[in-house]
Amino acid sequence: MMNGSTPLLEIRDLHVRFKIYEGELKVLNGVDLRIDEGEKVGLVGETGCGKTTTIKSVLRVLPMPPARIIKGEILYKGKDILKMRRAEIPSLRRGEISAIFQDPLTSLNPVFTIGQQLGDIIKFSLKNQGMKRVKRENIRLNAASLLKETGMPDPERILKSYPVQLSGGMRQRVCISEALRVNVNLLMADEPTTNLDVTIQDQILRRLDDLVEKRGTSILLITHSLGVVRNLTHRVYIMYAGNIIETAETRELFKNPLHPYTQGLLKTVPRLTGEGVSKGIPGRIPNYLDPPRGCRYHPRCDHRMPICKKDRPPLYVMELDRKASSDPAISSGGRIKEDHRVACYLYRSRAE
Amino acid sequence: MKGPILTVENLKKYFFTKQGTVKAVDRVSFSVIQGETFGLVGESGSGKTTIAHTIVGIYAPSGGAALFKGKNIGVDSSRRSIDLKKDIRIVFQDPGSSLNPRWSIKQILDLPLRVHSANAGPERLERVRELLSMVELPPEEYLYKYPPSMGGGEKQMVAIARALATNPSFVALDEPTSALDVSVQAKIINLLMGLQEKLHLTYLFITHDLSLMRNMATRVAIMYLGKICEVAPTVAFFQRPFHPYTRMLLSSIQVISDQEEELKPKKIISRGEIPSPVNVPPGCSFHLRCPERMDICRRVDPVMVEHETGHFVRCHLYPDRSGRQPTDA
Repeated sequence: MMNGSTPLLEIRDLHVRFKIYEGELKVLNGVDLRIDEGEKVGLVGETGCGKTTTIKSVLRVLPMPPARIIKGEILYKGKDILKMRRAEIPSLRRGEISAIFQDPLTSLNPVFTIGQQLGDIIKFSLKNQGMKRVKRENIRLNAASLLKETGMPDPERILKSYPVQLSGGMRQRVCISEALRVNVNLLMADEPTTNLDVTIQDQILRRLDDLVEKRGTSILLITHSLGVVRNLTHRVYIMYAGNIIETAETRELFKNPLHPYTQGLLKTVPRLTGEGVSKGIPGRIPNYLDPPRGCRYHPRCDHRMPICKKDRPPLYVMELDRKASSDPAISSGGRIKEDHRVACYLYRSRAE
Repeated sequence: MKGPILTVENLKKYFFTKQGTVKAVDRVSFSVIQGETFGLVGESGSGKTTIAHTIVGIYAPSGGAALFKGKNIGVDSSRRSIDLKKDIRIVFQDPGSSLNPRWSIKQILDLPLRVHSANAGPERLERVRELLSMVELPPEEYLYKYPPSMGGGEKQMVAIARALATNPSFVALDEPTSALDVSVQAKIINLLMGLQEKLHLTYLFITHDLSLMRNMATRVAIMYLGKICEVAPTVAFFQRPFHPYTRMLLSSIQVISDQEEELKPKKIISRGEIPSPVNVPPGCSFHLRCPERMDICRRVDPVMVEHETGHFVRCHLYPDRSGRQPTDA
């Protein structure tokens, strides 16, 4: 099925619930996700489907309570993050996994200059690598070169500025520099360009892609923009109401979406070719207090069958029709890195 | 062909700040034809919302003229006639902040009716029900709901119903779906297009999403730093964009199929930051980021010319149809 080596990050059957006054929100309902060394993975879903909860669980920043992880494992290099002692977490976040969040203004401290904030992080990272004394000049040069790598004009001036003095695009570049300081192995980017203008988004994404490629960093890109995922990732996970419902190589998924929700989602995206706008998907995402039994998509699904209301479908592994593929590498029997999986009973017979 | 319902000529809106004058809208001219969807695209700070607000009367323009059905509307709402206010309405971007969270949907929709009609309570309630069914929200279920208990899409539908309460002929839609998910966006856009046909509405549609614009607008104008760079019918705009900024914007879109990829202009890469509107570069305001800049761009601001029929562009690269290179007066 997949190559035998240990994945960099593997999430297995993660269930997360939140306690609120009215009861318990059953948000994550069995998330399975895998990122290999150097792989670029996308996680796509609409607002409120649990994308951010997933990465917050990985970073161990979920507020507990109200959150409660009732089941599941998050293996980083084979070691369960959920079982790590509190003291081990900071070194994980400093040296191994880093994150970029959607709004750069809230992730930067408004009362310190960029230089001070970036310097702190560099100092920690260097100390973490075993360096005893770090020279101030060294930190400054390091910070400036990091900023330069993200395509920031005039890094020396930026180091002396406060976050409010920078534009949204510049702030996001600062966050990218922070996240990519020393060689982290995994970068989690939560909607890194959602607030930015398209021309700036394009610049930042290309820069991010270059940097990640150059350093061999793995990336988990979380977004609701299907276009961003298509252009930046190797593999996509589609999430709906706390479940991974489909995953495949990016090109394959966009050419050949299988799950009714994925198909509906792709149809609702307005196209540059101008076919008009589809009707959208009827209904809305379920209430997590009392989510539908079985497949959580069944109340909105046109193809629902009796079984969908009873049991949650597993992720069926699809045999790729190599001959039908338009990708020459696949149709000639060449490299297929991973398979196409879909959590839908429509594909039960095909999987068996 | 129908005549223009709205004509804007050399419209200016300046804001005076401590840092200097912000020319949010600077000598903008366009006209909107009865029954069409006129699209305004541009990045943040380009002045598209300011144009909408000026037309609706949130503020008076600093200069220039705006004619609506032949009448001057270059004043703010306090000096507009009540009939005019009924006729031009607006839907804002974020329904979370444009609907009062402590009012029920019935109260929200009743307010414009109370202000603009002489009807008694029961008749107004009938109209509120009618409005709710018009935007496909079942009245029994929604009349006594409050905005915080509703999803973003439903809130936006209420905002649309509120705009339509006074039977307007012109509605400004200021990024009506930017805060929503794509599946909800599709619903709202379909609703808007259905309503336009049924009620013969004219839309001024503002968005930064070019793919959405392609499917919604009949004509598109693109703005950069308070000025319009290019105006064209939608198909021409997307098939043969002239202005380098239009091409840069189109090439920056993240698309989801190979067919779309082919439609994007090649060989133009996005670079540079959008300059601060307080400190607009001299000459053509785009010249700092323009890959095809010439010497003249740094000195002279180009004027709008009709390069092809109905396709206007403001760039030194393009002469007008007679082949004459216009010089700035």
